[in-house]
Amino acid sequence: MQPDAPAPSDLEALIAKVQQEQARLAPLLPDIDPGDLNSILVAIFRPWGMGRRFFIRRLPSGANVF
Amino acid sequence: MSSDEAFVLEVLAALRDSGVEAIVVGSVAALLQGAPLTTDDMDVLIRDTPANRSKLKDLEQRLGGKAIALSPLSSAVRITTHQAHLDILFDEIPGGLGFQGLRARSARVDLGDAVAVVASLEDIIASKEAAGRPKDLAQLPVLRDTLRVLRALKKS
Repeated sequence: MQPDAPAPSDLEALIAKVQQEQARLAPLLPDIDPGDLNSILVAIFRPWGMGRRFFIRRLPSGANVF
Repeated sequence: MSSDEAFVLEVLAALRDSGVEAIVVGSVAALLQGAPLTTDDMDVLIRDTPANRSKLKDLEQRLGGKAIALSPLSSAVRITTHQAHLDILFDEIPGGLGFQGLRARSARVDLGDAVAVVASLEDIIASKEAAGRPKDLAQLPVLRDTLRVLRALKKS
């Protein structure tokens, strides 16, 4: 496991919470793409310190990496 | 904890220890409230006072970088660190959104070792609409969707 990776139990709890809220909210927000809704819910419920990466770095080659 | 999360905590601690009151704005403020974004810098807004200008020296030392003016057309400065850029904006952000009003509408996000004072998602959207740069406009759909999801979660 990489140092940033969340513990499996934390990950399972996050997945369960996101699935529960997605099932509840999807009918209320039908115009939001299901994949986008999933990404938003993961970002909302993912606990701080669980290894989220969000800074992009540009390499001299021009490629962007986390 | 990822190095990105650690960097945010490092910046918040450096601001606190330097005695600079700051509001996190821009993409990092949005992602701390649940927007699934990526970015290449962290933006904070502070008041443009002689005291804060002098405290920037202390902030530079704590973060290990030097504050460089971003552009002759802007008062903003950038501290480039080993991890990411920290952009420091003064007094207001696009959309005529001033420090006082942003702070009054701000949210406090608990990050365990620190509490981040962040601009409201509504203000971030208004600022990006006003800035109108392609990279801001590209983020608007997901920011608006995130706001709708947060409102739906609050209702229930």
